[in-house]
Amino acid sequence: MNKNLRLVLSLLIILSMAVALAGCGVKQQAAEKKEEVKWPTKDITVVVPWNPGGGTDLTVRALTTEMSKTLGVNIAVVNTPGANGSVGTKSVWNAKHDGYTILGAGLMPFTSYQVMGYMDQGHKDWITWTATFSPNVLAVRAESPYKDAKSLLAAFKAKPGAVTAGTAGVGSGGHMGIEIIRRAGKFEYKHVPYQGGNPAIIATLGGEVDFTPQLSMEMTDMFRAGKLRALASLSDKPLEIDGVKPIPSLGDELSDLKKTLPMGEFFGLTMPKDAPPEAIKKIDEAFKKAMQSETMKKFAKDKGVVLVGYGPEESMKKLDNLASVVCWTLFDTGTAKISPEKFKIAKP
Amino acid sequence: MELQYLLHALNLLASPEAVVTIVLSVFFGIVVGMLPGLTATMAVALLTGLTYKTSSDMAILSLIGVYVGAISGGCQSAILLNIPGTPASAATAQDGYPMGQEGRGGLAIFLATSASALGTLGSVIFLLFLTPLLTSFALKFGSWEFFLLAVFGIMICGQLASGGDPLKGWIAGILGLLASLVGIDGLQGVPRFSFDNIDLMAGFSLIPIMIGLFGFPEIVAAFKKKTAVIGELQSINYREGIRIMLQNWETIIRSTFIGVMVGIIPGVGEDVGGWLSYWAARMRSKARAMFGKGNPEGVIAAESGNNACIGGAIIPILSLAVPGSAPAAVLMAAFWLHGLRPGPLMMTETPGFLYTVATYLVAASFIMWALGLLISRFTVKILQVSPQLLMPVVFLFCVVGSYVINDRIFDVWVMFAFGFVGLFLSHMKFPSAPFLLGVILGPMADTNLRRALTLSDGSILPFFTRPICLFFAVIILLMIAAQMGLFSRLRSKEMNQEAGGTK
Repeated sequence: MNKNLRLVLSLLIILSMAVALAGCGVKQQAAEKKEEVKWPTKDITVVVPWNPGGGTDLTVRALTTEMSKTLGVNIAVVNTPGANGSVGTKSVWNAKHDGYTILGAGLMPFTSYQVMGYMDQGHKDWITWTATFSPNVLAVRAESPYKDAKSLLAAFKAKPGAVTAGTAGVGSGGHMGIEIIRRAGKFEYKHVPYQGGNPAIIATLGGEVDFTPQLSMEMTDMFRAGKLRALASLSDKPLEIDGVKPIPSLGDELSDLKKTLPMGEFFGLTMPKDAPPEAIKKIDEAFKKAMQSETMKKFAKDKGVVLVGYGPEESMKKLDNLASVVCWTLFDTGTAKISPEKFKIAKP
Repeated sequence: MELQYLLHALNLLASPEAVVTIVLSVFFGIVVGMLPGLTATMAVALLTGLTYKTSSDMAILSLIGVYVGAISGGCQSAILLNIPGTPASAATAQDGYPMGQEGRGGLAIFLATSASALGTLGSVIFLLFLTPLLTSFALKFGSWEFFLLAVFGIMICGQLASGGDPLKGWIAGILGLLASLVGIDGLQGVPRFSFDNIDLMAGFSLIPIMIGLFGFPEIVAAFKKKTAVIGELQSINYREGIRIMLQNWETIIRSTFIGVMVGIIPGVGEDVGGWLSYWAARMRSKARAMFGKGNPEGVIAAESGNNACIGGAIIPILSLAVPGSAPAAVLMAAFWLHGLRPGPLMMTETPGFLYTVATYLVAASFIMWALGLLISRFTVKILQVSPQLLMPVVFLFCVVGSYVINDRIFDVWVMFAFGFVGLFLSHMKFPSAPFLLGVILGPMADTNLRRALTLSDGSILPFFTRPICLFFAVIILLMIAAQMGLFSRLRSKEMNQEAGGTK
């Protein structure tokens, strides 16, 4: 009996230690003293502020696997979802700015945290690398009466506020996309937000909503299988996806839209810009090399995304552009309470 | 053709590498499932990272092993400690814990583990036959149906766990619903009850709430009164166990069916599967009064129901690329990472994969059965440890378990806060389980109702015109009506009036 008791207790203690290790292993490493010249000297953590399996997660995992080859250390991807991605983003900002804690970001929500009041820092306080771009695509189910973009646009005009759009939620890539089209086309639609891109797409398949303006990478296989029909894309030229006939740009139908194209979600890595220069340099090198890899090329082909590979400067231009569209749309629709003017974000 | 795929999968399994992989990962899954705070979702996510660089066959084998192990492992802590190891095993605790207190913990674990294995095996049959056909069933569930399904789930859980007074169960369920409203709402992105606090904006995580609700009262209870340690553990009588299993074959089949269907529906997972099967078993059982007091049938129903969700949840992954439950969502991400493309093209592009998954599931459930029983020989002795010695260790688990979910200290505070809620509930004889289910299903009820009303411009007519809705609406109304009928009968007896029309 006594022996049994001791066995059980020691088993419990071993298990508890295992749990503690599993949880803290990554953190402890990140908390160690930073080294000077040589970088990196230990494993890197990339925080993805969204659930595993989403667009950001998949992109970041593919990208960091390639980057870890160049950097010679492991890159651990940690998912910390919550509050539209701001919880994970904040945790990266609150960690040491030593380059060992990086954020894997979907850039559209990333630009909204200031006006939404989630964070004090805006995109200008970060240094960003943009890996991929996935444009919005207007898609309907196979049985839908809308055969092309023209007929859908005509329906918006004919039945103001009656055509339903299923998106991944307020402020999501899909919502931004349709808001921009609405402005250019001067029509009304009915916004039906879901919790994530996948539920919105399923609702489109099931006929609960008339169409979805979600991102190309979320729907690629549905296009290939012929379950969804792509009407138009918010890319500036026709979008090419393996096994699907090229999707025309909506700019062809709606010329007012052309100046804001391409529109969609950008995925990449970002970290506080006061990180040590040697870390920035090494990450920049590894990022550029990873973008040339076969893995990323295959990933882009499979998922229907465009490899952009913007460095920090180009990314900042893109972010300024995105921020103005995203923040002003959120403010104008009443979702964001703080005016983008406060952060010197120009009107689109 | 099918035979060829099957042989290929079996061939993969026969290598020593595969055997070691699956045994280790099922073991890891069971351990994670047993520990409160470490869930199946997390186990699969953790292993996805670890197996990133291994070959895709071994990686998927290990992930399926962990998934099966974790869902069934949760039954052990539910039976031994009354703290469900994963949310999926909350229903198991209803009858499992009383069994453990009677010294029949070993038998309860035997039944739970066997039922888990059979539930998984049964779901594989559905997986093989339904995957090529299905898709339309899951698509029939729109916003209206999801809302009613959530309400239905909370109501039956409230009724089952209440120990005689469904009203208390429903009140607990509604309190859980309210707790789930904290945070940024899922539709408009508006922060609710967050007081500009970023942690509150993210909402309360499920796991700290669960640990607080179930763990805290147990820990406090251990120090409040001197409980007698169970001296005599009845050794597992396998013959009796098998006899009980055979007697309940009907329950197993019914629960498996319910579990698979719940698994297929996206957004509801193993937890709801366990409760629904438990409810159905109780409704059908002759020994209804024995439920909640250590009825083996309850354990069997809950465990075969929650494990059958595994096969069910994989069906829509393979046919639609829509995961049926939270751990299945991580599993799907892992499929993607390993270059597989689950979804509408799966059956045409890689038709063999379905058979591979099925074979792995079968292998995992056999190994889970053997390992689960082997481990239970040791874990069941926990019942003999004095609670005053055991509970400080359990308390440590509660704190660590709350923290590791998101690496946030805030979650530990949440655990404490809901620990006091749990204490209050148990003191006032309100059941904790409906509260938990309210938290789980709250966002689903909330966003789907508001979305449905947006779609219909505020009309509630679709509740009665859509067939699946009508089905749920009628059952819910009947449940409420039965409750009110009972009230009036009691009252009329008390007031000594003629009992007239109230049956």
